[in-house]
Amino acid sequence: MAQELTLAGVTRTFGDRTALDDVGFTVRPGRMTGFIGANGAGKTTAMRIVMGVLAPDSGEVTFDGRPLTLEVRRTFGYMPEERGLYPRMRVAEQLVHLGRVHGLGAQAARRRTHELLERLGLADRADDALQSLSLGNQQRVQVAAALVHDPVLLVLDEPFSGLDPIAVDAMAEHLRERSAAGVPVLFSSHQLELVERLCDDVVLLHQGRVLAAGEAGELRRRRAGRRLRLVVDPFPDERAPAAEGAPTGLAAFLEQVPGVSLHAHDGRTVVVDLAEDADDQALLAQAQAHGAVRELTPVVPTLAEIFREAVR
Amino acid sequence: MSSWGVVGVIARREVLVKLRDKAFLGTTVFLLLLVTAATVIPVLLQQRTPELRVAAQGEAAVAASRLAADLGGAAGEEDADDGSEVRVELALLGRGGLPAAEVEVVAVDEQTDVARMVRGGDVDAAVVGESLEELRLLGGEGVPVEIELLVSAASGRLQVAAAAEEQGLDAADVAALTDPAPPTVVLLDALPSGSVPPELLVLAFAFLFYLSVLTFGMSIAQSVVEEKQSRVVELLVAAVPVRALLAGKVIGNTAMAVGQVAVIVGGGLVGAALAGQGPVVEQLLAASGWFVLFFVLGFVMLAGLWAVGGSLAARVEDLQSTTVVMQVLVILPFFAAIFAMDPGPTQRLLSYVPVTAPLLMPARVVLGNAEPWEPVVAALVVLGTAVALVLLAARLYEGSVLHTSGRLRVGQAWRHR
Repeated sequence: MAQELTLAGVTRTFGDRTALDDVGFTVRPGRMTGFIGANGAGKTTAMRIVMGVLAPDSGEVTFDGRPLTLEVRRTFGYMPEERGLYPRMRVAEQLVHLGRVHGLGAQAARRRTHELLERLGLADRADDALQSLSLGNQQRVQVAAALVHDPVLLVLDEPFSGLDPIAVDAMAEHLRERSAAGVPVLFSSHQLELVERLCDDVVLLHQGRVLAAGEAGELRRRRAGRRLRLVVDPFPDERAPAAEGAPTGLAAFLEQVPGVSLHAHDGRTVVVDLAEDADDQALLAQAQAHGAVRELTPVVPTLAEIFREAVR
Repeated sequence: MSSWGVVGVIARREVLVKLRDKAFLGTTVFLLLLVTAATVIPVLLQQRTPELRVAAQGEAAVAASRLAADLGGAAGEEDADDGSEVRVELALLGRGGLPAAEVEVVAVDEQTDVARMVRGGDVDAAVVGESLEELRLLGGEGVPVEIELLVSAASGRLQVAAAAEEQGLDAADVAALTDPAPPTVVLLDALPSGSVPPELLVLAFAFLFYLSVLTFGMSIAQSVVEEKQSRVVELLVAAVPVRALLAGKVIGNTAMAVGQVAVIVGGGLVGAALAGQGPVVEQLLAASGWFVLFFVLGFVMLAGLWAVGGSLAARVEDLQSTTVVMQVLVILPFFAAIFAMDPGPTQRLLSYVPVTAPLLMPARVVLGNAEPWEPVVAALVVLGTAVALVLLAARLYEGSVLHTSGRLRVGQAWRHR
């Protein structure tokens, strides 16, 4: 099932403010796609457009190559940014209702509700009013509401916010499971470490534009540029430091390599940035002259670092 | 799933929520008891023949009192025989315009202080006098109307009989004189009549409609704003057409409103039937057809607008201000129905105005001053208005239901799509 969600050229304005500007990316089946960006970057707007809650001014959203209709969207699972279920309705009735709204028959809706509540550890609360549950449990019911109709695509706006670490793990487990079953999953989060840990793909949105989109590891490598980390055990006879305050012996040799600038150093470890025309083999040769090279690796930035740099 | 299937699912939830709502159940039970009591109690009161004690002092007084007791008893029997043919206004009175009463006559001698007996409550009144021309009727704060009428009639008959005897007439002539056959009343433009005054029926239905539209209207608005405030609506509109959402709410609440009225009216009917008032049951059934039709049309006509009242609000607290127009649209027709009870051009006009028609046209049918085609035309007028208002409501609802950040004005909802 090669069903993927594609946004192409999606633009949306509110008054004279442009919330989304020519946004395009793809959410692929069997993969978790993390949607990151600062507050107000347009993540929620994009998700609402996918779910048909908002209409784009221009551009197109397609699923499996076809434009989205309500019939198709009904098979999506959605968790809105602002949580919302009927506070006074009983948990199980609520889920059955939402299942039926999403096109399940009465029998199937009841069966799925039962299964989900069992799995989420809420079976004993099935007949309680939602508002009598703790916030964490309400959040779990919200997850169930997005999953009850066995969606073919998941769109989750901040699914991890407000969850304790154990609940985060449980939620991550759920999402991975859905994803492994071939369901494309798009979720937004401000917890970048989590996105890094969970996601196969990343979409970075900034002020309504896609700054980067694609496979997370590839993105980080591409962003790595020419920053290298070097670990050297200096030879004993060359240890004598120069004047007080000058770079230590380890750093001093770098000045002899053209196109290298020092980023940080800590005793035997240095991080350097290479200029476009600089030769990393020359650096290695210099380092080997200086001491025993233990490590020479490109420094791959974390998503958090890319994010901070990008939005700065 | 078809969109009607979705509408059904939405409507089902509205019904389910209502059935769980303790306030709704409480109100229904209360109204049911009220209506049952209102049908049964007057019937019980009406059936009771008053039992009265009269002291009689003096020869003429005793004779007049005994005849009065006979007349009162006879009126009661006639009343029971053909009660259904007695005009409502005359329900108290038997043939010849005399009230039914069981009068017990206590004959007392001259020495007895009758005034004290009356004051002491020993008797309800006292008749005093040796001759018919000088009869006096003694009462405390007042003389029971039955006694006054019966004793007057008895005294009159005895005097006529005495005068006739003096003139040498025989017993048959005397009977013809003292108990003349009343004329048969034939009405050319008879108004429908029954055991319950039609005006009362109209009022009762008007009140039910008013109460029902107000409470269910408010509950539609609340249900909408609850979905907005709790943001469920965002989940719903991603899966369901907004119009289906509106339709489900209107249909679910209409079903519950009609159901509630049916239960309440049914309670009244059962109460009346148990009290042995067949004619009341028939009268109610005959009248309720048009009322129910207009009730449904009138309710649907306003239900969509109530939903808009809800969707213009961002929080439950805003409802008071966003539904104020709706409240006026419900309260005004109610008072119009009360004040336009008398037939006339105002009533005729208002019975075609969409907001007042649901109350006044069935009222005119019950009061018997509507041509047979008139309710049909008015029903079509209300139906047309209902369709127009529901379409308007759908557009306003679409324009406002996703706007969760503050209350909207109608113009904004109209423009925003």
